[in-house]
Amino acid sequence: MLFLLLLILCSFAALILQTFIPPLPWLHGAHVHLMPIVMFYGCFALPYPAAMTLTFCCGLMWDLMTVQVVDSSVEISLGWSIISYSILGSMMHGFRPLYLEGRWEVHTLLTGVFTSLALLVEYLDITFRRQGLHFPAQVWWLIGGTGLVATILSPFFYWLLERLAAWVRYEPEPLPQE
Amino acid sequence: MKRINLVVVTVLLVVTVALLSLKPQNIQAMKSAFLQVISPFLKTGNAAQRQITSVTKGLKTLEQLEAENQRLVIENKNLKAFNQTLRNLEEDNNRLRRALQYKERAVFQLIPARIVSRETGTWWNTVTINCGSDKGLAPDMPVVTEDGLVGKTTTVSKAISEVVLVTDERLQVAVDVEGTQEQGIVQGARVSSVPVPLLTLNFLSKDAKLEPGQKVFSSGIQGGVFPAGLLIGTIVSTTKRALDTQAQVAPAVNFGDVEDVFVIIGGRRN
Repeated sequence: MLFLLLLILCSFAALILQTFIPPLPWLHGAHVHLMPIVMFYGCFALPYPAAMTLTFCCGLMWDLMTVQVVDSSVEISLGWSIISYSILGSMMHGFRPLYLEGRWEVHTLLTGVFTSLALLVEYLDITFRRQGLHFPAQVWWLIGGTGLVATILSPFFYWLLERLAAWVRYEPEPLPQE
Repeated sequence: MKRINLVVVTVLLVVTVALLSLKPQNIQAMKSAFLQVISPFLKTGNAAQRQITSVTKGLKTLEQLEAENQRLVIENKNLKAFNQTLRNLEEDNNRLRRALQYKERAVFQLIPARIVSRETGTWWNTVTINCGSDKGLAPDMPVVTEDGLVGKTTTVSKAISEVVLVTDERLQVAVDVEGTQEQGIVQGARVSSVPVPLLTLNFLSKDAKLEPGQKVFSSGIQGGVFPAGLLIGTIVSTTKRALDTQAQVAPAVNFGDVEDVFVIIGGRRN
C-alpha cells in the first residue's frame, strides 16, 4: 500500500517534470514521457489490483493534463487514457514472473513499445475525430521516437524505483503455486 | 480470477465510464481544479528553469546592466507617450462614432503573463501561463505578444491558464489579407517537425492575387473571440485549387522563443 502511494506520487512528479523537458529536435521533435515509465514499472512490480489502481491514477492525471476543451467541445474525453493504460498495464503485468526472477530486459523494451502504442491510440482518436486520415512521416517519428526515448531511459528509472522499493522494504508477492 | 481483482477492476471500470460520460463544462471544471493543484509546481519549476537558463546564458556585468536599464527607461517613456497618443485617438474615434450613432469600440485592457510550461501532450500546441481568474482571465480570451496573435485561453484556473496556440489545428481564425478584399480562415497543422510550423489560409477566392510578404490580420467577426487587426503572419506562398486558393502563412510570433505574452481582456477600461 505504501509503495503504491509512493509510485502514485512518483508518477505525479514525473508528469510535472516532463512538462519542463522540451521536445528533442534531433529526434524529429519526439517528446520525453517519464510518467509511463513509472507507471509500467508499477504494473509489473505491484500485485494486479494495485497495478490497476496505479494505471487509473496515471490515466486520470494524464487526461486532466492534456484534455482540451476548445469551443465547448472535448476532443479526447476524460477517461480514454485510463482505458488504454489499463489494457497496456494488464499486458505488462503478464510479464511479472520475469520481474520476480530479477529480469528487466523485456520490460524495458515493452515500456517503449507500450508508450508508443498509447500515443498511437491518442493520435488515431484525434485523426478520426478531425477527419481526413493524415499519417505523415512526422507522426511515426513522434510515436516511435517517444517510445525509443522511454526504452532508453527506463533502465535508469527502474533502478531508481528498485532503490525506493528496497528503502521502504517492499517485497513483491511471489506468484501463487499451481 | 481472484475476487479482489474482480472487485477492483469493476469499481475502476464504473468510475471510468462515469468520467467518460461527463459533460464538457464538468470536464473543464475538473481540469481547472487540477491546474490549480499543479500551479505551484509549474511556477516553481519554471522559476528554477529560468535560473538555470540565466546561468548557462552567462551573467551580465554591472555596466551592461546599467546600459540596458538606461535604454529600457528611454524606450518605456517613448512607449508611454505613444500609448497616450493612441488612447487620445481612441477617445476621439469613439466620440465621433457616438456622434454618428455607431457602436463604440471596446477599449481593451492587456494583462501581462508569462509562459510556465509548453506542450503537455504530443498532439496539441498549447502553453500554460501564470495568470488565471484572479487576474480577471476567463476562457476564450485572445493572447498576444508585441509581434502578433499567440492564441486564446481555454481552461482557466485561479492561478494559471491554458492557452491553445494559433499553430494548433483546432484553432481557426477569420482573417483579412492586407491591401486586398480577400478573407479566409487560418488554421495550424495537425503535426509538424519544426517548432514554428506554417499556418494554412483557406477559403480565399479562386482568383486571389496574393504576393509573398503580404500581412494577414484577424478580421474580428461579430461574436468572435479575436478583435480585428491582430497580426497573424505573412503570406509565404499560394496554391490555386479547383474551387479556391490556399495560402501558406508564416506566423508573426516565434513560438519557439516566446516567453512573455499579454491576455486581452475585453470590456471598458476604468
